[in-house]
Amino acid sequence: MERNILTSSRTGDSCIHVKHSSGLDIYICEMPGFSSVEALFGTKYGSVNTMFKMKEDKEYTVVPEGIAHFLEHKLFENEDCDVFELYAKTGANGNAFTSFDKTCYLFNCSGNYQESLKILLDFVQKPYFTQATVDKEQGIIGQEIKMTNDNLEWRVFFNMLRCMYHNHPVKIDIAGTVESIAKIDADLLYKCYYTFYNLNNMTLSIAGNISADEVLAICDECLRPCEDKGLETVFPDEPESVVEPEIYEIQPVGASIFHIGYKCRPCSGQERLRKSMTASAAISLISDASTEMYKKLLDDGVINSSFGGEVFAGDGYFSVIFSGESDSPEIIRDSIREEIGRLLREGINEKDFQRIRKSAYGMAVRELNNVEVVANLMINSHMDGVGPYDSIEALSEMTSQDVLDFIRNELEPDKLVMSVIKGE
Amino acid sequence: MKYKRTELADNIGYSSVIDEKFKTSFLTVRFITVLDKNTASANALGISSLSTSSKRYETIAKLNEKLSALYGASLSTFTRKRGDVQILGMSSSWINSRFAIDGEDLDGEMLEIVRGCIFEPNAHGGQFEADTFRITKKDLIDRIDAELNNKRGYAVSRASETAFIGEPAENACCGSKESAEAVSAAEAFAAYRKLLETSHIEIFYVSSEDNSRIPEMFRSSFADIERAAEKVEFENLSPVKAEIAEKRDEFNVNQCKMVMSFKSDCKDEYALRLVSTILGETPVSKLFVNVREKLSLCYYCACRLISSKGTLMIDSGVEKNNIGKAKDEIQAQLDEICRGNITDDELQSAFLTFGNSLSQIGDTPSSYEGYYFERFCSGNIISPAEHLEKYLSVTKERIVEAAKTLKPDSVYLMLSKEEAE
Repeated sequence: MERNILTSSRTGDSCIHVKHSSGLDIYICEMPGFSSVEALFGTKYGSVNTMFKMKEDKEYTVVPEGIAHFLEHKLFENEDCDVFELYAKTGANGNAFTSFDKTCYLFNCSGNYQESLKILLDFVQKPYFTQATVDKEQGIIGQEIKMTNDNLEWRVFFNMLRCMYHNHPVKIDIAGTVESIAKIDADLLYKCYYTFYNLNNMTLSIAGNISADEVLAICDECLRPCEDKGLETVFPDEPESVVEPEIYEIQPVGASIFHIGYKCRPCSGQERLRKSMTASAAISLISDASTEMYKKLLDDGVINSSFGGEVFAGDGYFSVIFSGESDSPEIIRDSIREEIGRLLREGINEKDFQRIRKSAYGMAVRELNNVEVVANLMINSHMDGVGPYDSIEALSEMTSQDVLDFIRNELEPDKLVMSVIKGE
Repeated sequence: MKYKRTELADNIGYSSVIDEKFKTSFLTVRFITVLDKNTASANALGISSLSTSSKRYETIAKLNEKLSALYGASLSTFTRKRGDVQILGMSSSWINSRFAIDGEDLDGEMLEIVRGCIFEPNAHGGQFEADTFRITKKDLIDRIDAELNNKRGYAVSRASETAFIGEPAENACCGSKESAEAVSAAEAFAAYRKLLETSHIEIFYVSSEDNSRIPEMFRSSFADIERAAEKVEFENLSPVKAEIAEKRDEFNVNQCKMVMSFKSDCKDEYALRLVSTILGETPVSKLFVNVREKLSLCYYCACRLISSKGTLMIDSGVEKNNIGKAKDEIQAQLDEICRGNITDDELQSAFLTFGNSLSQIGDTPSSYEGYYFERFCSGNIISPAEHLEKYLSVTKERIVEAAKTLKPDSVYLMLSKEEAE
């Protein structure tokens, strides 16, 4: 197996990428001086992947919403015991998460990582579901869904996605609904498992106080080769238009909260990386704490320090979101529109652009200083189809014209939606 | 790694950790005082005003523009409580100068910004600048209002009010909304001046290389301030109530919250912390395995030990019709420990949990800073390895004795409106 050394010419950081004979992509970052180890074993299978087929299948399979998350919960139980019990013997903290586009199993520890890595690789490759354990899990996840419904930041976010997306499953809660998870049974879990938990669709990322030779020896011992069955996932057709421009909900909040989002055109790989970086720069130029718009909204008491912006992107979706607390989100929405208009009329101040680019570079350097962040960076980048240090390189190539083009082409007035949760 | 703590002046500590692996520098200044409902909000507003502007950077926009130009350096303030003590501070971090593309002296620039914010705040005529203060005050009031948005955190805050009624720890770290609304720019500035003069101050610097400019700056700046530091007690055990108190709130929520508080007069800090870990801090703890997994009574059910108050809180997310069963089962699991029913696996797992977390101290600047500050508060500054030895020497018998000292004190319930009726 060939070891590819990936290096950042800007910071000098490096990691190793190996395409293992089992089909698995492996990323290893030895970080001298650090004590901890962070490992993630993940599959490119998240809540949005509700429609899929293998090369030999004629028809697409459609599965209930929330099944990727359900599968994540169930994989933590193997035939003999709970996986937490195994980690308890090594001292590692084991956990897992399901996001829109991936499911990851992870541990962090400070010693004996070899044993913990074997546990991780073993249990994820060994599914064990029975109808009885599936039935019990429906109760536990039902509780989780109820708890999430009380999370108002989560609600305001999903309300916004429902305003934005007609058909794309990103608008569905990652855990599904009490009704959708009731349709899940053991057979369906096995079907999803054998579809998505093929090592050709998976990535191992490990960083910290480790030896690449040891990691690869453990992989050789524990990984069971998989045939690449040509997995295809599809998404329903999604119009460029939004569903509705605004939604209001009344809930027991102390402070009213809002999400204002622009629906942008989705893309993938390097294009998504570069578009995300220009979108982040655009957000900073429109709304960060040094801008005139921020100053005015703050002076007028319309926003507080919770105000901020972010890029939200994945397979088939891309949006720019501004969020925070405010009793007057309509004023914020209007101000964002006006500020975008001003930037398009007057152009971008080159000094401001250079400052924002420096700030983004500083953030990237900081991220490489943290074992957990590095491990996450490697797996996220790979699943997004880019290299772990590509963002620093892309940053150096980004121009103010790129940002202006993004604002002009993507932040269109009729693609703007607003979600608000107000107090009772 | 090199750790060193020195006294710059009476009750002003300066600690440095030099660890060459870091790409960033991290500086925190803490002002430590008694949590008092009459001063909590004014102190919080005084500290919060420091990270919004200074005499040199007169507006939030100007200060943020400068930080952004320094490769996204951060500067923020915080207000927390630790038992009966209010801890207010300013933290800043920045990338090492060797990564600066244009060769800037980032250490020097950031040190000057921190100095300006702390010793030359944006104040005139004995009060913070009016416009910036108005924004800072609104922000604090919004933060207090927003506590309700996080139901789990809000439930724990309400449980603290009930458990520590009549003690400083009953107060929120920033005071109440009403007290915050009443603070003027002059009162906040006076409160900050008083913190400079009377609070205990701990400064912490973590970087890849030592920088003598930092302690020198603080030493010379504090030399101009007439200080008379007041003594702060970090440990004040809370007395257990004669009868178990219960407090209820009703909200439009899907899932009820229950927080049970137990109190102890146990002096064996290490054994008590092991009780908390074995009972409910890990996925193999008794509460997780039995209350959540086996009986499906709660989605979460976890312990937290407030050692400065000798109080163990167990917070859970539970359906209304399971509240009674969950309460009984939580007590039953604590009783198991009291009866000595702790398996070797449970004990070993707890030891490994401490070993894991203590060995990881030093992987981030904030972990060094958090660990050594906590050790300072406990009055026993020892290394993480020495700390771990203390845990590993705890016997099952000591854990049982510590568990037996825990007595039920109070219960807080957040119920959904329909279910409460």
